[in-house]
Amino acid sequence: MEPFIRIGIDIGGTFTDLQILDERNGALRSLKTPTTPEDPSIGLLTGITEAAGRFGFALHDIRLLLHGTTIATNAVLERRLAKGVLLTTAGFEDVLEIGRHGRRDIYGLRPHQEPPLIARDRRLGLPERLRADGGVEKALDRAAVEAILPRLAALGAESVAVCLLHAHVNPAHERMVAEALRATGLPVSLSSEISPEIREYERSSTTVLNALLMPVVGNYLDRLERRMAEAGLVARLLLVQSNGGVCSPDMAKRQPARLLLSGPSGGALATLRMAESLDRPNLLGVDMGGTSYDVCVVRDGAVTLKTQGEIDNLPVRLPMVEIRTIGSGGGSLASVDEAGRLRVGPRSAGSRPGPVCYGRGGTEPAVTDANIALGRLDPRFFLGGAMKLDQEGSRRAIAEKVGAPLGLAMEGAAEGMLAVTDTNLAAAARLSLFEKGLDPRDFALLSFGGAGGLHAVPVAEELGITEVVFPADASTFSAFGILHSDIVHDLARSRVMPLDEAALPWIEEAIGALRQQGEVLLAADGVPDTDRRFAVSADLRYHGQAFELVVPWPAAPDLAALLGAFHALHAQRFSYSNPGAPVELVALRMAVTGLLPKIHATRAAGLGADRVPEPREIWLGGAWRSVPVHQRERITAPVAGPALVEEEYTTILVTQGWHLSPGPEGTLIARKVDMKEAV
Amino acid sequence: MDPVALEILRNALTAAAAEMDVTVWRTSRSTVVRELLDYSTAIFDGNGENIAQAARIPQHLNSMGAGLLTVLRDHLPAERWQDGDVVITNDPYCGGQHIPDILAFRPVFVDGARVAIVGTLCHHLDMGGMAAGSYAAAATEVFQEGLRIPPLKLVKAGVLDEDILAMMRQNVRRPDMLWGDLQAQLASLAVGEANIRRLAARTGADAFMAACARMLDGSERAMRAMIARIPDGRYEFEDFLDNDGISADPVRIHAAVEVRGDEITVDLSGCGKQAVGPINATLASSSSAVSYCIMAIADTEIPANAGCYRPIRTIAPEGLIVNARHPAPVANRVAVTHRLATTILGALHQAIPGRVPAAYYGVSYVCSFQTINENGERGVLVEIEVGGSGAYADQDGLSGYTFGMHNNFNIPAEMIESEMPLTVTGYGLLPGSGGAGKHRGGLGLFREWRIDSAEAIFTANLERFTHRPYGLEGGEPGREGRLFVTRDGERTAYGSKVNNLRLRRGDIVRLETSGGGGYGDPAARGPEARARDVALGYVEV
Repeated sequence: MEPFIRIGIDIGGTFTDLQILDERNGALRSLKTPTTPEDPSIGLLTGITEAAGRFGFALHDIRLLLHGTTIATNAVLERRLAKGVLLTTAGFEDVLEIGRHGRRDIYGLRPHQEPPLIARDRRLGLPERLRADGGVEKALDRAAVEAILPRLAALGAESVAVCLLHAHVNPAHERMVAEALRATGLPVSLSSEISPEIREYERSSTTVLNALLMPVVGNYLDRLERRMAEAGLVARLLLVQSNGGVCSPDMAKRQPARLLLSGPSGGALATLRMAESLDRPNLLGVDMGGTSYDVCVVRDGAVTLKTQGEIDNLPVRLPMVEIRTIGSGGGSLASVDEAGRLRVGPRSAGSRPGPVCYGRGGTEPAVTDANIALGRLDPRFFLGGAMKLDQEGSRRAIAEKVGAPLGLAMEGAAEGMLAVTDTNLAAAARLSLFEKGLDPRDFALLSFGGAGGLHAVPVAEELGITEVVFPADASTFSAFGILHSDIVHDLARSRVMPLDEAALPWIEEAIGALRQQGEVLLAADGVPDTDRRFAVSADLRYHGQAFELVVPWPAAPDLAALLGAFHALHAQRFSYSNPGAPVELVALRMAVTGLLPKIHATRAAGLGADRVPEPREIWLGGAWRSVPVHQRERITAPVAGPALVEEEYTTILVTQGWHLSPGPEGTLIARKVDMKEAV
Repeated sequence: MDPVALEILRNALTAAAAEMDVTVWRTSRSTVVRELLDYSTAIFDGNGENIAQAARIPQHLNSMGAGLLTVLRDHLPAERWQDGDVVITNDPYCGGQHIPDILAFRPVFVDGARVAIVGTLCHHLDMGGMAAGSYAAAATEVFQEGLRIPPLKLVKAGVLDEDILAMMRQNVRRPDMLWGDLQAQLASLAVGEANIRRLAARTGADAFMAACARMLDGSERAMRAMIARIPDGRYEFEDFLDNDGISADPVRIHAAVEVRGDEITVDLSGCGKQAVGPINATLASSSSAVSYCIMAIADTEIPANAGCYRPIRTIAPEGLIVNARHPAPVANRVAVTHRLATTILGALHQAIPGRVPAAYYGVSYVCSFQTINENGERGVLVEIEVGGSGAYADQDGLSGYTFGMHNNFNIPAEMIESEMPLTVTGYGLLPGSGGAGKHRGGLGLFREWRIDSAEAIFTANLERFTHRPYGLEGGEPGREGRLFVTRDGERTAYGSKVNNLRLRRGDIVRLETSGGGGYGDPAARGPEARARDVALGYVEV
């Protein structure tokens, strides 16, 4: 029999989440297993083996393994990276160390600065120089590169990054370096291949990250592939990239910098999948966990991407899913400072000692403590009852650390902590939309992550959003997104030129070349012709601007239509446009997609449906009141707020003026009651 | 309004200032705004008191309020501001700092009350005058420094005054850049206005204004508590500016910082007389530097707003370099504010030893180029570079790292070369430039530009060429800055002020910025740190 199982895997810090799809009948199942941080491929294999046992399939039945991974991210955060060498234009060896100067903590006298990823004695200059138009001012002599080889050996280089000035316009010198280095067998990253975009520091940073990750990611994937082979797994392995698409292990080994945002992009993919199946083309996805809150935007049925992000203050100039993260979660700590300010976060209790209610020695109240203190979380049913919580401890800490300095009773202090938290969350969501010139009222909110359910409706209220979606399996939701991803390659050609008739021949030639490159890549991925998609866009700006807007390229080369779209987009995002002003083309991009077969998934019935919770006293809107508590699996008819809904890993708060109803795909949907209708 | 609602509003105001910031950044045109990020956005209450700032440039942020108050008091009283107006000025003697900085303000009305004023400040690429970038190093009167715009309404009730704009465009070297960056300011104000209106409409005008007043009181309280922890006493320090570009005489900057209970008085009466050349500061600029230093030594996080200024008093008699009298030139006012910072921090070191680092590079290294092609086409580039930070009591200084007060970014060489007939021929750290000490000062930088146009006109406003950044507790000073021009293989050294030097194709300008001062006796530096300095080439061997 042909293999028929597809598995989406999301490896987080604590748990490895799996969603398992039977492609024959669309049956969908999920499973959680502990992550094995020393080698995540162990936990991954354990999870797969468990799933096979529990859901009745053999390992050789698995056809496709889609793998979201934080291996690259964690290697950077923990600086477990290869020993690299940077080759750059002579006279510019320190660009990587100097950076762009700017700082965020403007009032502090003691700024924190990490040492550069490659130290000064390992950055070597090459005698060459290109000009901004790609012309050669000083040709690179192959002998000069070869003269450097002994130094690479002496420095014990495990990987080489090459970033020469203006290489994004003319890659010839970088390619010559790669050629000369071939004999060494060292992994080489060229800036003209990894991130062919203007601004030498940002390009160097991206290229260096890639180079230092190559051995790390390569080793991990080699290990994983070996373990898979040993276990008799013949499944095809694909890795989730920062752009929300998947790629082959071979591509991931060559361009591991593309995996840096692999983790959170699973959440974005899941949001996209929900937007499709619920027919909500504008969906704001928010993922609230213990320490952070991630916001992503699906707009007109597509995940919004950005062309540059950062990790640990290091710029990464690559297309990635646009996710705004703030340090606000269930573990965020509250305090009152000398100015009488109530602050919540970004300091976090983490999981050790955790909030006061965990009883592990935490003394400062966290957001979870406020929810426990006010009865919104059931201290006896946390993690499905797996962990008993100390409600009195939470109350004491809040009264003492927040209530007393503010002159508030415990209830007022706890409610205040939650109100500050909710507005911080709303501000992050608002800024994500604002940057794109979007209005929150045009969006529905999708809430997932363990801590999100108690905050989603208040946040929506704050934003003027009237519909909130709570997906089923919220705690393995990212793996669900991964299950439905496609193969994506991002290709780009960068060249600054006025966008007018004279540019068209270059553009047409460039599109042709990108298309050809894309066909080759998809052929290597084994994607049939009928499943290949090519979307072209142009990075455009007014002459003089530093930031470009990404404008979709019209089907036919229609200059007027393209310019019109640019002016309109500029007006939408920035409140003005200058029709008639000169517009520049900075880059052409092509998103090359290989569609993986789409299977309609049907969720197997949930567990825990036999539990009937009691109503409980909670503090809401300035008073204690008894509210009904529902077990999620038992909801079949609309529920009017105020009410609580509980499931194994999360609790949902529905406030006054909202109704919660079962929706398609196992979702629950809260809607604000129209006041006029209600009357 | 209860403390919770207050905190919610404060966060919303800071978010609004941040949205204004993003708007300027993404829509601006000139490299000085979009790459160097020389601009700021802030929100003021209806009386002009600063209530929220975006994390950009404190030198601007803490003087914009003083500028706005001057405009309201002496030029355009509040009752003449209408919904949809935008008031601008760049006049140093009417609330501005120096001519390139255009301040733009827009009132926010809710329920008929002026609940707030939103403001932006952008350093424009050029505002005319005797040198490109409006940074003449040899000006002796403000009239030579560029077009002065008194406080006036560029936009009246939502309608742009095209006549004023035409007059401005006619007087500057790059009118397209001026208008592009001005539009970024207007867009940012529109964003800020809409946000504040949304917030104040929700609370009601009166509650909004009352909340703003409480935010100021809260920051004042926190500042006072912080100051009360500093031992009482009078702490004096002096440092020097190299010269004013006209005469060779150094200028003394002196501060007597007096801490009494929960208040601080900074007496600048010992500073030199106002200079003939453009290294003068108005009181607004100087007070901003004073406020910055006191806010920067805070040992707790205090929301930055005008309440922070209340426990601080600045004494600066008119006619001194720190409170120049009209029509003294002020283009390089930042030289004074940087030196005020190193002087005041030097004094504070005596009060709170261990918390203040040795002197940082202490100047915005401003170089401006006007390129002229054979066909007469001209381009303007303004570069601002930095040097090394001073060493700390327990760690080395940072190399090539901006001081928070001016927080400038650098401009990518690839960006410059794509837009101008200039080639950056080198950019790197300067080994040996950090002051020796138990902890070494951060390294200064070098940057080299080659002229690729037929001609170019070069102006530099630099400092720390003779008076080096001091060390502390036995640490040595950082190395001085230097400037060279190489023509036909021959290198000539220049002083710290260069005014309209004519250059030609192939000439190379090389700037070397100062390192930071060291901290502690150099003999006490550990062998590992020494070995590392040698291995990484941070010192000269």
